[in-house]
Amino acid sequence: MPRVMIPPPYRGPTHGKGEIPVAGATVRDCLNAVEAECPGFGSLVFAGDGELHRFVKLFCNGEPVEQLDLPVAEADEIEVVAAIGGG
Amino acid sequence: MSTNGSNGASGDRLIRVDMTRGTIVVEPFPSGWKLLGGRALSARILLEECDPTCDPLGPDNVLILAPGTLAGTAAPTSGRISIGAKSPLTNGIKEANAGGNPGQDLNKLGYRVVIVKGQPADADKRWGLEVSADEVKLVPADEHAGKWNYALCEDLTKIYSKKASFITIGPAGELRLKGASVACTDQDSRHPARHAARGGLGAVMGSKGLKYVAIDPGRSRARKPADAKGFAQLCKKYTRDYLDGPQMFKTGTSSVVPVAQMLNTFPTRNRVSGQSPHAESLDGKRIVESFETRGGGMHNCLTGCVVKCSNIVHDAQGHYKTSALEFETITMLGANCDIGEMDDVADLDRLCDEVGLDTIEMGAAIAVYMDAGKMEFGDAEGAKRLLKEIAEGTELGKMIGNGAAEVGKQTHHHRVPVVKGQAIPAWDPRPLKATGVTYATSPMGADHTAGLIVNPGMPEDQWAQASQEAQLINAVCDSSGFCQFMTPTLDDIRTFYGTFLGEEITREQIADLGWQSLLDEWEFNRRAGYTEADDVLPACMKEDPIGPAKLVFDVKPEIIAQAKLRMEPREELFSTKATG
Repeated sequence: MPRVMIPPPYRGPTHGKGEIPVAGATVRDCLNAVEAECPGFGSLVFAGDGELHRFVKLFCNGEPVEQLDLPVAEADEIEVVAAIGGG
Repeated sequence: MSTNGSNGASGDRLIRVDMTRGTIVVEPFPSGWKLLGGRALSARILLEECDPTCDPLGPDNVLILAPGTLAGTAAPTSGRISIGAKSPLTNGIKEANAGGNPGQDLNKLGYRVVIVKGQPADADKRWGLEVSADEVKLVPADEHAGKWNYALCEDLTKIYSKKASFITIGPAGELRLKGASVACTDQDSRHPARHAARGGLGAVMGSKGLKYVAIDPGRSRARKPADAKGFAQLCKKYTRDYLDGPQMFKTGTSSVVPVAQMLNTFPTRNRVSGQSPHAESLDGKRIVESFETRGGGMHNCLTGCVVKCSNIVHDAQGHYKTSALEFETITMLGANCDIGEMDDVADLDRLCDEVGLDTIEMGAAIAVYMDAGKMEFGDAEGAKRLLKEIAEGTELGKMIGNGAAEVGKQTHHHRVPVVKGQAIPAWDPRPLKATGVTYATSPMGADHTAGLIVNPGMPEDQWAQASQEAQLINAVCDSSGFCQFMTPTLDDIRTFYGTFLGEEITREQIADLGWQSLLDEWEFNRRAGYTEADDVLPACMKEDPIGPAKLVFDVKPEIIAQAKLRMEPREELFSTKATG
């Protein structure tokens, strides 16, 4: 089962969980599956047009994800990275 | 008044400046301090050489200029400098650090720290400190008295070499105001746009009559590592890894605005709300869009930086306005004062840099002033007038320039968001409880760079440990010279130290280094009169709810106390990235 790794700022909807195993054939499916399990997560990563917020980046097994429709395999790890920090 | 600085030419040295006598002594840098730099070095010297009960603006305070341990090496984004002293704002120990080139220029010359003591008998005299490979000397600088930072640096660039970098204060420092910053110049434009802003350290520099420090690196080169080949490979790999990663600050910290708005940590109208109606207009995206039509862009503030998070902001006519317009500034001078136009915030940022002021403290002070009914929220022109009055030294200007606590005191206003006298930064402790634990326990007062934890869902039993770990990691980072936005881990830093020094630095050693820095700082504060009863957040954070969940800062005192008791290091301590 693919796993979605949740960054600390976005663990409110996941009740502190940093790793959520989900069923899904694509990156988008997996993120939607996290939203189904943890309502509120989707609004943190998706903008109104259904695409990623620009301050969110995704990596699949360490490689940048360019397309949300990227197919994923059973053992894949999708990492959500969010901008934090102040200056 | 001068020395040839030849003592230990091949080894590291330190500079002692006595402003009472006008003398300078250059000494060998103690070998026992080889791992110490930046914040940790400042803490050690202050604990050993500064009376914690002294008047922060008197002759017994000690001003420290300490580059990070790796500054001046080829390690990427590692050239930051720490400024330290007893703070006139908190009356406790203070370290604030900045980018720009002075840190690496000092270290390239072999000067690991400048220690400034005493005070000239004539408070109206101004001095400059010149540091080069040939000489360290004090020079009269009366002609620069009262100059704003940009004009001062423009004049200094005409006097000193093209390579020289500068550390300066503006009028706020000369007036010894508690919100005064210390400015460092950018690597490219040599604008005074990098500020060690927090805690009123500019006032300490002003109290010593020191208007500027000019550092001419001459032909000095990057510091040589013991393992040159290994160090070069390490730098290359670390740079590549960073560039292959998400580079979250590629468009500046201002890109964080929408995240903060979502998380109810975009304080508005003196923090009565965590969300602003101006989130769209204050989004850093507007700055990036302006590059197309107005010019400006992203750049690196210090030589060798690969993060390049600094924006250069132009006005509508395409002229340079300011750099860098950061998330904290946009929040505190914008949303927190209900000012919604980015151009106005850019003007306010430039004024703060010119007069030499902490944008966080000024945003908080003006918001308290507005909240007390003395000025309408959203009055951008009024806010600009206030900052100009600070430079003019009017009574009103002095009140604002002395920070939020002073404004609260003089206006008798009840909502004053400060900890240990220092304004709470944008990141709000009500949704971010573990960050609140940092604000309560950090020796620095409320300071997000001391240990920021952006994790609203974190369970209560993790707050103390998360805060302690973040404080320890950031203490090490701020001692190393690395920028927190390079996000180094303790393992990264100890690997760099080990390769540079040619000896293994263990996990235990690096963790002890950070912890000792915190212990030194807490001990200084204890001697200054602080007790555990001071490790609290103000009433407004406990009583005024924020966000739809109506969150208040309700962390139990025993959890706050735990953050100062050393815990067994977890594996994650060494792989967690610094964040600030």
